[in-house]
Amino acid sequence: MSFFGFEQTDLEKEKQQFLHGKLDPSDTNDLAVYTWGEESYDGLGDALEEGGDDLNDETFGRRGTVGTDFDFVGATSVPGAEDLRPKPRTPQIPRDEPSSFYASRSSPSQAARQPASSQMSLESIWDDKSPLSLRLNGAGRTPTSSGRVQSPSTLQQPIGHGLKQTGARTLQEIEAEMRAAAEQSREQNLQRQLLERQQEQRQEEEYRRLRERERQEMERELLQRQRFVQQQQEQQLHLQRLQQQQILQQREQQHHRTPPPRMLPVSQSPRFLEHQRLLLLQQQQEQQQQLLRLQQLEEQLRMEELERQMRGQQISHHGDNYNQNHDRHPSGPTLADMEALQLLQQQQRELIRRTQSPLNPAAQDNGLYAQQPNLQLQQRLLNEMANAEFLREMQGLSQADQEILRAEAMRKIVEAEKMEEKRRRKAAKIAHMSRYNDLMTQSDKDFITRIQVSQLVTQDPYADDFYAQVYGAIMRSRMGLGSDDERVLKFGTSGGIGLGVSQRGANRRPNAMQRMQQQVERIVSNARRREEEKGMHSLHSLQGALGRTSGRSYKAAPRQLLQVDANSSPTLSHAQAHGHIHKPDESPNEAAADAAAKAAKLGREALGEHTADASELVRKDPLTHREVLVTLETLYDLVLLLEQLKRNPAPPEDEEAIIEWEIEFQTILDKTWVLLKVMVPLATSDPHPFISILSVAKGKKLLPRLTRHLDSQRMLTLLTLLIACFSQLDVIIDAPLLDAPEETPERAEIERQTQAFLSGVIQSILPIIAKGSLRLVSGLLGLLLDRNDIVAIAKTRPGLALLTLLLTRVEVIKESLHNATNLEELPSPEDADQWQLMFDHLFQLLTPHFPQLFPSSRTPPTEQGHHRPGMDTLDQPVWQFLAALALHAVTEQHQVLVTLLREKVLDNVMAVKKGWVNDEEERQTKLANVDLFLHALGLDSSQIAM
Amino acid sequence: MDPSSSGIQEPFDLIRLSLSERVFVKLRGDREMTGILHAYDGHMNLILSDVEETIMIVDTESPEAQGTVSVRKHEVFGLIPLQYLVLQVAKRKMEMLFVRGDGVILVSPPSR
Repeated sequence: MSFFGFEQTDLEKEKQQFLHGKLDPSDTNDLAVYTWGEESYDGLGDALEEGGDDLNDETFGRRGTVGTDFDFVGATSVPGAEDLRPKPRTPQIPRDEPSSFYASRSSPSQAARQPASSQMSLESIWDDKSPLSLRLNGAGRTPTSSGRVQSPSTLQQPIGHGLKQTGARTLQEIEAEMRAAAEQSREQNLQRQLLERQQEQRQEEEYRRLRERERQEMERELLQRQRFVQQQQEQQLHLQRLQQQQILQQREQQHHRTPPPRMLPVSQSPRFLEHQRLLLLQQQQEQQQQLLRLQQLEEQLRMEELERQMRGQQISHHGDNYNQNHDRHPSGPTLADMEALQLLQQQQRELIRRTQSPLNPAAQDNGLYAQQPNLQLQQRLLNEMANAEFLREMQGLSQADQEILRAEAMRKIVEAEKMEEKRRRKAAKIAHMSRYNDLMTQSDKDFITRIQVSQLVTQDPYADDFYAQVYGAIMRSRMGLGSDDERVLKFGTSGGIGLGVSQRGANRRPNAMQRMQQQVERIVSNARRREEEKGMHSLHSLQGALGRTSGRSYKAAPRQLLQVDANSSPTLSHAQAHGHIHKPDESPNEAAADAAAKAAKLGREALGEHTADASELVRKDPLTHREVLVTLETLYDLVLLLEQLKRNPAPPEDEEAIIEWEIEFQTILDKTWVLLKVMVPLATSDPHPFISILSVAKGKKLLPRLTRHLDSQRMLTLLTLLIACFSQLDVIIDAPLLDAPEETPERAEIERQTQAFLSGVIQSILPIIAKGSLRLVSGLLGLLLDRNDIVAIAKTRPGLALLTLLLTRVEVIKESLHNATNLEELPSPEDADQWQLMFDHLFQLLTPHFPQLFPSSRTPPTEQGHHRPGMDTLDQPVWQFLAALALHAVTEQHQVLVTLLREKVLDNVMAVKKGWVNDEEERQTKLANVDLFLHALGLDSSQIAM
Repeated sequence: MDPSSSGIQEPFDLIRLSLSERVFVKLRGDREMTGILHAYDGHMNLILSDVEETIMIVDTESPEAQGTVSVRKHEVFGLIPLQYLVLQVAKRKMEMLFVRGDGVILVSPPSR
């Protein structure tokens, strides 16, 4: 007979071993330890109805012998079970009539018998709790499972259960065991009685409480209560400890039976096996810790129970309170709690300290016991309350006061309970979250980090992470942090990692950064070592000779769909390099040779000395739009290169590198300068190539980034060229379209260009003009007047901006004249005369057009007769310019200004005073505009009477 | 000699020239748009600003309402008489738009 596929031979062997090896066969004969038939035999066996076995064969199947397959323990621990095992000497005997079988074996020599306690009947032995039947039920799979050994010693534990024996036991042992069982059952009874008594006491107590309500015998009551508490505590603790053991053991079993997810085998890789070994180790530790924990939990539960009793006495008026408390026990520390506890102990001490309730600031190592002080506090609180109550009682306080006191106590307790609940929930949550803790070993994590980091390392961390880096720099400067804070991790020459924007208040971050750095260093050194090894062992060179196995999947980055050369795309620099190889043959020569001469020429022009050496001029077609765009892309590449060079200067201690760096920088800068085509003769084309470059919005935006790197001489040349060709600019040519009354796409485009010009080009020439001498400024103004249609320019925003800029600079110079200390800085009288000449010329040219300078005057009103909103804002630069003009003007010129602009001023003032404005903002703007101009004349809008 | 002739190596270089310029984009589903190109990638994903999208809606409903059931059946098979086709144009403007590359048919500078 073979149960569940157990090998019969093994069992047979076991049996034989048992019979012959461990015990004397002769002893085995008298093995049977039946307890009936002797002194204590109650004769029940005789009364047993033993008949009806006739059909056994049909029911169970005919077998020659009854094996001992079921006897998995070897020597069964259950007295009375042996009777099923046939005597080894008579294996052939078919199923006897049990009665006779028993009778034949009930000899007086068998001393051992069942104690008189009637609870231990055969039935109880046969019932489910016996290990034998458990085996048969398949509960214990392994012959000697540790779980079995630690089987729960429940209250209704049958005798012998939980004792593991490999050999046969002596009668004394069996006897002792049975006695112990009886003892236990007796104890059980006792406890039940205690329980009842407790309940009685509780009722009694309640009665007393009623009396207490009537404020009688308060003192005695308190004493009694205290005494009762002690009593109850003792009882309950006893009960509790038993229960706890039971619960904990059960849990432990559960724990063992259903392994946590991490213990389920996933794969059998060596990594996994290593992991498993670690886990086993951990488990052992766990078991050790569990013992500890058991004690701790016991302690904790005791405290809890104590607290509950206190509470029960203080508030509850129900007799079933005790039961409630009692029932709550199993829901005390759950399995999850235990797990959490373990994890907390192991790893998250700090975290726990933080999550501790504010009631117990005392830092404890594990959070689960953090409630102990809490409870103690509660207890103390309650005691104090009781004392206070008592004292007040003595002083004859009113019942109302008492009620208040009670309510307060109630409230405090409820609060404490809430805190407790909160803490519990938190612990549960942590436990839930930490289910997967330790799923990966540290080496696993490192492995993954390495993979991630290796994907991050690039040859040029700054360029690859360009936008994030720039954004980070802007954010840092906005936050007021030092911009020198390096946001790129560098690893020698092999590349680095961009770090992105630093986060505020991230105290974990440096740590993570450090770890990452270490990781990368390890990767780099590993790669190097591997390279070396490859060189050393030629065997490795044969690797992959027979074809490659597909590598790890992580290497398979998303498949590259577009076969684009990383070096050439998306930049044009590669392509442009070809273009530049040929360039140095001509243009640099030309540029280098003629640069000085041309600069001089332009300078002379700037100063109003016109030289007509147009002999060498080669007229060309203006750049096409495509050419402009290509040039611009190349320029952008160069500028980016320059910017990157600026960011990565050579180390200051390495002189050679510094020289190298400077040469490289200068080369690129020269290339840029050439490409900018500033040095192309002025009359080469119309528009000039440089102006063509500026005709595109991105060209305008590029200029400030580019001029930053140019020296002042080149900047001056650039400025001169720009002013000389000012009327060729698209923003000047297209400006009249801005005066269109309706919103059109073209208008929007020009508006966009104008904005780009103002913010780009004007911004980049501003510093030059702001530093320029009076001589330079008057030279520039002369150039502007000479080569351009000043009226057309003055009707545009960029033109007005330039004019205002020049006038303001002269104004600043004039002011510094008055309080100048350094005489050398002062402009010579000739320069001043020159300026005055230029200014008069400008004034004279503009005089007939003053009213037409205003966009509001030029723009025809819409059908509704209204101007576009925001017209006053558009007028503002004009007012500014006129104010600047007025500052320089002499009295006669003032009169001209006033005469011509009288109407405009009056219009505005009238609109403001009569309320012909849409809103307060418009009114403010109008007034400010007018005052801006009037103040320059020494007047004010308030002086104007309507 | 001229960089403009040697500057173009691959089609994307042409698109690069249009960066921060207004471009005309034709999309699947009878959509066209113009906008200022800010960024693109190898998938032709585009980022445009100041976009105006034009959606062509071909309305097959005949202008006169007496179109019978049989006509409608023809419509299903695409055998609609031309005079029944009504082209509706819907326009909308967006400040900033991400255009997914798989819908892009054509990118070009706007005809000036």
